[in-house]
Amino acid sequence: MTMPTLDFPPFRLPDDAEALRTEVRAFLAEELPKVKTTDKFRSWNTRSPEFSKALGARGWIGLTWPKERGGGGRSFLHRYVITEELLANGAPAGSHWVADRQSGPNILRFGNEELKSALIPRILKGECFFSIGMSEPDSGSDLASVRTRADKVDGGWRVNGTKIWTSGAHRSHYAIVLLRTSGQREDRQRGLSQLVVDLKSPGLTIRPIINLYGKHDWNEVVFSDCFVPDSMMLGEEGDGWLQVTSELAHERSGPERFLTNFHVLTELARLVGRQPGARAAETVGKLVTRLWTLRQMSLSVAGLLENGKSPVVEAAVTKDLGTLFQQELPEIARIVAESDAADEDDLAQFLDLAQMATLQAPAYSIQGGTTQVLRGIIARGLGLR
Amino acid sequence: MDTDIRQMFVDTAARLFSEQVTRDVVNGLEKGTWPADLWKQVEEAGLAWAAVPESAGGAGGSIGDLMAVLREAGRNAVPLPLAETGLGAMMVAQSGLTPPVGPLALVIGDAGSSVRISGGRVTGSAKRVPFASIAGHIVVVAGGEIAVVAASNARIATGQSHAGEPYDDVTFENAVAVAAGKSSVSADRALQLAALARANQMAGAAERVLAIVTQYSKERVQFGRSISTFQAVQHMLADMATHIAATSAAARTAAYDAEDGDGSFSIMAAKTQAGEAANRICAIAHQSMGAMGYTYEHTLHHYTRRLWVWRRDYGSETVWATRLGQALARGGADSIWASMTASRLVA
Ligand SMILES: Cc1cc2nc3c(=O)[nH]c(=O)nc-3n(C[C@H](O)[C@H](O)[C@H](O)COP(=O)(O)OP(=O)(O)OC[C@H]3O[C@@H](n4cnc5c(N)ncnc54)[C@H](O)[C@@H]3O)c2cc1C
Repeated sequence: MTMPTLDFPPFRLPDDAEALRTEVRAFLAEELPKVKTTDKFRSWNTRSPEFSKALGARGWIGLTWPKERGGGGRSFLHRYVITEELLANGAPAGSHWVADRQSGPNILRFGNEELKSALIPRILKGECFFSIGMSEPDSGSDLASVRTRADKVDGGWRVNGTKIWTSGAHRSHYAIVLLRTSGQREDRQRGLSQLVVDLKSPGLTIRPIINLYGKHDWNEVVFSDCFVPDSMMLGEEGDGWLQVTSELAHERSGPERFLTNFHVLTELARLVGRQPGARAAETVGKLVTRLWTLRQMSLSVAGLLENGKSPVVEAAVTKDLGTLFQQELPEIARIVAESDAADEDDLAQFLDLAQMATLQAPAYSIQGGTTQVLRGIIARGLGLR
Repeated sequence: MDTDIRQMFVDTAARLFSEQVTRDVVNGLEKGTWPADLWKQVEEAGLAWAAVPESAGGAGGSIGDLMAVLREAGRNAVPLPLAETGLGAMMVAQSGLTPPVGPLALVIGDAGSSVRISGGRVTGSAKRVPFASIAGHIVVVAGGEIAVVAASNARIATGQSHAGEPYDDVTFENAVAVAAGKSSVSADRALQLAALARANQMAGAAERVLAIVTQYSKERVQFGRSISTFQAVQHMLADMATHIAATSAAARTAAYDAEDGDGSFSIMAAKTQAGEAANRICAIAHQSMGAMGYTYEHTLHHYTRRLWVWRRDYGSETVWATRLGQALARGGADSIWASMTASRLVA
């Protein structure tokens, strides 16, 4: 019998990556108390330009980028350590997150010299932030159906169309926008390109979209005859789909897919104390087990990537399990907290935090590929389609 | 870990099990037929004593090699006390004693048993001891001591697990041990190693469930198409696959961690993970196979029944999660992250 296997070989981070962890923890212990944000409960979605600048000054943005470009020249495993420490410690890393994770790497990989020399040094300093211009009102999971168009004009492109759900567009400097440069909507993946767009460009309007808990993070970005110079074309015209796929791979496999609300777990443990009842102890043990397992899976994927493999299905498996874990965590914690908390005020405070985490939870299994899209990828990996 | 040796163990086990462990052999054990021939071949292939040093007559592999063999055993529903014999012989040899040849059972002075060892004699009883009624000897670890008792020297009330394997109650009445001495591992540790073994068997069984179910879904035709083309079925199986992958990743990591260190954090997590996932995996597997998977005729139950039963052996997910949670709580909320990243308890 042929056995479809999902392969997660055990993987341990190298010693020098663990040494970096010690440095990162010390840095965060120093920096985090200084940061002021309006978010009561912080996560990697919380933006703080000051914090990003401090991180950039340490050389911890663009850690894997080539030294010739001013990057850190270190491995993805080192970056993994920084990322997970930021997440587990609730660092407000939202300002530079997209630039560091996907825009910078894509510019380095596909961009022309002008783009690289103009943007990479500023990203590295933590002074230049990016947004993702993929989704549109009529194109969500079916991303290849985008309608936004760029028509060739003298010295550049004239862009028309609407992007939506553009996180942080009102706080970022640039967006990498997926749009059609030739052919028709029916041509799907063919004829798509990516333009790097200055979000201050004339002809570009940013309108806020408020999310369910009242926060302004999303935007609608409307292009009407917005001019974008030739030099801002990322890669070859027509290669947009290829580039976007590689971008999504970066987006999918990281620890932000299971550590986003880690603070709920630590606060639950604080609430039930050092000698919890059996039920609370069991709950903490099970939650830590799930998280530990996810981390081992994610590390395994990181190890495979570092060794030049492309574990697409394994990454989808990890994101699917991870996002669902993040959704269940506040709910499981809320239920056990009610029966095991020793102090009324502490309980009230914890329930406030868990409730907020619950409000944030629906997004996890939508952004970066919905549960159903991921399951389609996994099913294909199993040979079912 | 020596990758060549590991591959040799895995290849040997996979070949032998897939050729010899037929449906009739597995069902036979449930009907009371001990597969003596199969056991002999497994012993001769060096799989039973995989982690016993060569100087003591074993194959000289590591604990990780034994766990790799046990994943293959789980993948084939091998109806033998391979985990018990592999660990029992290893612990006996590591304690400077000579392991007895033949199938072994394990009694650990912790897992719901009242067993004590004193002056080379064993007293007390244990319930639901896997394979005690067919074992030649029983390895007892309790209170820092280890003892090997001939099964004929114990009172054994036979029983059967819901997976159809021997699950016997054992009573020792001042039973004289064939060999006894200071144990190389504590009873707590022995229980962890047994839990690690079951987690790895569960990983193997779960991987087999994935293989059976994906193949069936491609072959079974309804409404003029193979059921694997229905999105509802695809998503169900993808969901199941994520839990199987998690179980397998946790068990493999724990085996890896136990090989060059203590690994107790990982072991507790791995057995918890396997126990938590088992029901989900089995439920989806059965749902996706309709009535066929619910028959005795089909072999799916070899794996799903073992997954359901093995959850409870050597500490269920409730037992291990509670221990892990208590240990983490003692270290304080702010040390949880440090413990997770180190895969050991950091206070
Ligand atoms: C918090 C947040 C931040 C975001 N930030 C950005 C951003 O910065 N930039 C950006 O470009 N986008 C962003 N997005 C948008 C995100 O990429 C899309 O929401 C996502 O791709 C899904 O598209 P949709 O919302 O249109 O849902 P739809 O695609 O309409 O899906 C609706 C439902 O139908 C299901 N479905 C769709 N197709 C199938 C199918 N083939 N089979 C089975 N089920 C299917 C989906 O799984 C889902 O359950 C963000 C989203 C969120 C929630």
